[in-house]
Amino acid sequence: MADLSNLAGLVSEPSGEIDSSVSSVSNRSLRLAEKEKRKGVADPFGLAVKYLSQVEAGTVVRGNDELERNMVRVETVALSKGLPPEVFTVLLDLALSLNAGTANCTRVLKFLIPATVVPQEAIVKGVSWLCVGKMPMNAQVLFVRWVLTVFDLIDCKDDLRSIYGFIFSFVTEENLFPFICHLLYLLTMREHVHPYRVRKLLDIQAKMGRQPFLTQLLALYKVFRPDLVTLSLPSRVRTGFKNHNSTWKVALCAVQRKNTSAVLVDQSLSLDVKEKPSSRKRKLHHLAIPPLSSAFDSNSNKKVFRLQELCSFKELLENIHNIELPAQMGSLLGSALALHYLDCVQDESAFLRLNFWLGHSLQEEFLLCPVDGSSDNTSEGCRFLSTILFTQQFLQEGFSSTESFLYKFLSVWDGCLLRPQILDLLSDIPLMPSFYMHKLLFEPLKQLYFTSTVFFKCSVIECLNSMLVKWLTWHSVSASEGGLDISLNSNSTITMTLSGFMDSVMELVRFVGLLASEGLRLENCHVLLLNQTLAFYETVCDMFLKYSLPLIIMPPAGVFYPALFATDSISVDRLGYIMFRYRKNLTLAKKQEQQREQTFHISRNTYKEFNRNLQAMVNSMWNSWWCIPGSDIEIDKDLIALSKVAEPWCRFDLIHHPALFSYAIEFHQRTGKYWNWYMEFLFNQGFDGLNNFIQTNTGHGSTLNSQEDGQPKSQP
Amino acid sequence: MALLTPYSKVPELNTATVLLVENEEELQSKLANALVRNENDFNVNVRLARKLPLPVENKETRPRIDLIVFIVNLLSERSLQSVESSLAHLHSDCFLGKVCFLVTDGRCVLRHVTLSVSQTADGVNAAAVRLLNILKVSAGMSPIATTALYLSSLTRCSVTSELEED
Repeated sequence: MADLSNLAGLVSEPSGEIDSSVSSVSNRSLRLAEKEKRKGVADPFGLAVKYLSQVEAGTVVRGNDELERNMVRVETVALSKGLPPEVFTVLLDLALSLNAGTANCTRVLKFLIPATVVPQEAIVKGVSWLCVGKMPMNAQVLFVRWVLTVFDLIDCKDDLRSIYGFIFSFVTEENLFPFICHLLYLLTMREHVHPYRVRKLLDIQAKMGRQPFLTQLLALYKVFRPDLVTLSLPSRVRTGFKNHNSTWKVALCAVQRKNTSAVLVDQSLSLDVKEKPSSRKRKLHHLAIPPLSSAFDSNSNKKVFRLQELCSFKELLENIHNIELPAQMGSLLGSALALHYLDCVQDESAFLRLNFWLGHSLQEEFLLCPVDGSSDNTSEGCRFLSTILFTQQFLQEGFSSTESFLYKFLSVWDGCLLRPQILDLLSDIPLMPSFYMHKLLFEPLKQLYFTSTVFFKCSVIECLNSMLVKWLTWHSVSASEGGLDISLNSNSTITMTLSGFMDSVMELVRFVGLLASEGLRLENCHVLLLNQTLAFYETVCDMFLKYSLPLIIMPPAGVFYPALFATDSISVDRLGYIMFRYRKNLTLAKKQEQQREQTFHISRNTYKEFNRNLQAMVNSMWNSWWCIPGSDIEIDKDLIALSKVAEPWCRFDLIHHPALFSYAIEFHQRTGKYWNWYMEFLFNQGFDGLNNFIQTNTGHGSTLNSQEDGQPKSQP
Repeated sequence: MALLTPYSKVPELNTATVLLVENEEELQSKLANALVRNENDFNVNVRLARKLPLPVENKETRPRIDLIVFIVNLLSERSLQSVESSLAHLHSDCFLGKVCFLVTDGRCVLRHVTLSVSQTADGVNAAAVRLLNILKVSAGMSPIATTALYLSSLTRCSVTSELEED
C-alpha cells in the first residue's frame, strides 16, 4: 500500500510519540485490510442472499444459471452451518411469493435450517403469504410443518399470538387442518378461547368425526374455559398430533450438533443441581428437553413475566401472580424453579400440556421408533428417563402419561433395556384399583420375572417394595387430613375409599408373596433374593404402627421357612425382627379392638397364622424341638433317623443353627460353657432383632443391648 | 402327518437341545451364538430351522428336542403366517411347557406374548440368558424347583380384550 510505505518512511525518526501514533495508524490500516479480506470471503453468501432478495415475479427459472448458482450457495451454507436470522425474511419472501417458481418454493422451504433463532417477523410474513392463497397445497402444508418444526427457535411468540385469528381461519382447509390444530395448540392462551371459535371447531368435528388432534385442541380449550366447551372429552387424551418434523430432522440434528457452543445459552434456573446433568446436548431431537429460550420482547407492554426470565427463587416469589408459561412445556422438566411454580399454582392446563408433551415424546421414542443398536440412542433415552425421574421425585408424584406409557411398554419390554430407569419409574406409579393391577402390572411382570436372572428378581422385589412404601406414605399423609374418601394424586379424577385402598395393598402384598416364594424355590433360596424379600416384609409388618393402615398380612410359608432355616445369620436376624414387629402390631390391634369400637377387624386366621409361625420359630430356636407333630414341617421320625444325624431335634436352636453355629464355636473357644454368657456374647454380635424376639417371647435375653424398638444393626 | 412329539425319544446326559424356528433367519444365528456363549451348567445343542415340519431324513439321528422357540418378526406378515402353519405340525403335548414364542420389533401392545427381544447386542444376550433358564426347566434339569408345565402356568398371560385406556 502506498500510504503505508510513506508512513514507514516517517518512522525513522527516533521520537517515541510519533512512533506509537504511526504504529497505531499502521495497525489501523492493517485492520482495515483484514476486514476487506474477510468481507471478501463471506461475500459469496451475502451476495447470493442479496441476489435472491431481488428476484422479481415472473423470472425465468429453467436454464437460469445465475439463480441456480445462488440457490446452491445458500443451500450449502444452510445445510452445513444453518442460516443466520436476518436471511429468513428474504428467503421466505422468495419462496412463498412464488417469484422463483413453485419447485423452488418447496426446495427453499426444505433447506430453511436455522442456526440460532428465527425472527418472528419472518413467520408473520410467511403467514401473510399463506393468506394470499397463491401457493399450491403441498407448499402450504410444508410451510406450516416447517413453522411447527422450528417453533422452539422462534425468538418471541407475541406477534404470532396477535394473529391467532388469521391462523385460526385456516382450520377449514382439510389438508392443513391437523397441522394448524397443532400450531394453535402451541399458541393458545386463555384470551383466545371464544364461543365462535369453539362453535367452529365443533362443527368441524361433526363433519370429520372425532380426530385425535381436534380432541387435543378442544381439551385445551376446555381447560381454559370449561364453561364454553361442554362436551365430554376423555380425561387422558392419547397422543394426537402427527409427526411434522421428518423432513428437517436429520439436517437440524447435524446443524445443532455442530453449533453446540454457539446455540442459546441455557439459563439454568435450577437451584438444586444434585442430580441434573450439567451439560445437555443441544440436539433438536424429539427427545431432548428443549431449552428455555432466553430472548424476550422488550417492546411487549404486558406486565407478564416469562418463566424463563426468572433467575432466582426470590424473583419467583415476588412475581408469582404474573408468570407466563413457556410455549414448549417440555422445557419445564428438570428445572427446579419451574417445578416449584408448577407445584404451587396447580394450573390444570399446564399439567395437561405437560402430560401431552411427555406422552408424545415417550411414545415416539420408545414405542414407535425402531431401536437401533447405537449406544447414542440408549444413552439419550437413559438421560431423558432420568430427567423424568428427577421431576417426579421433585413433585413427589407421577405423571399420568408416564403411567400409561409404562403399561404399554411393559408388555414389549425385554427386561434389559434401560432397566434401572424403568424400574424406578415403575415404583412411582400411583395407586390403582385392584381390578386393573393384574392385567396392567402383574401379568407382564410375572412373565419377565420368572424367566430372568436372580438379580432381575431382586430388582423387581425392591421396586415393588418402594412402590408399597410410597403408597403407604401417601395414605398416611392423606388419611391424617381426615375423611375416608381419599382422592388420588391431584391431577387424577379417580377417588378411592379406604377399603378399596386396602384391597389394592393386599393384592400387591400377595403378589409379592407369590413372586418371592416361587422365586426362592427356583433360585434355591439365593441369599440376595431372601434379603430383598425380608426387606419387603419389614415394610409389611409395620403397616399398622408406622403407617396407620389396619392391615396385617403374614408372610407365606414359602418365605418364612427358608428364612428360618437360612444358612446366613443376617436372614435369621431379620426374621426375628419381623416377628417381633408383627407381635407388637398384633397386640396393639387387639388392644384397640377390645377397648373401643373400631371400624377394622383383624381376622382370627391372621392370629392363627402368626401363632403357628411363632410356635415354629420359638420351638426350633429355643426349645430345641422343631419337629412338632401337626406343624407344617413335621417329618416322619424314621426318615429323620435315616439321616444319621446325632440329636436331630436340637439342630436348629440358638447353638446348633447352621447360621449361628460358628458363633457358638467361637464362644466355646473363648470362654466355656455358660449359657447366659453365651447369650450375651451372641447378642453382642449385633443380633438385636433376634435378641428382641427371644426376649419378648421367652422372657430371657441379653439385658445389655436390648432396646425398646430395637432396630438390628444389620439394617441398612 | 408326522407330528413333532416331546417325549418320544430318550434324553442325553447333561444335554439340552433347543430348536429355533424363524422364517427370515435374521435373529436366529445371533441368538444361537449367544446361547452357546452363555452355556455353563450343561451342554446346549442349538438346531435351526425355517419352518416345521422338519425334514424326514434326519428323524432318527435327531436328538430329543427340549424346547421349541418360534421367532416372529412383528413387522413382517409372512413371519407370522409361517409360524401359524408350523404350529399345525406340533403334537398338542408340546404346548405344555415346551414351546416358547419370541418377538422382535414389537412396538404394539400384545397380551399373549412370552418374550420380547430388542435388537441390540445386550438385548440378544439377555434374551439368550432367559431362554437358557427356560430350557433348563423344560429339559428337566431342575426337578426339585419346578417342571416345565408349572413354569408355563406361572408365566401364563390370560388373553383378554383390549383394556379401555381412559
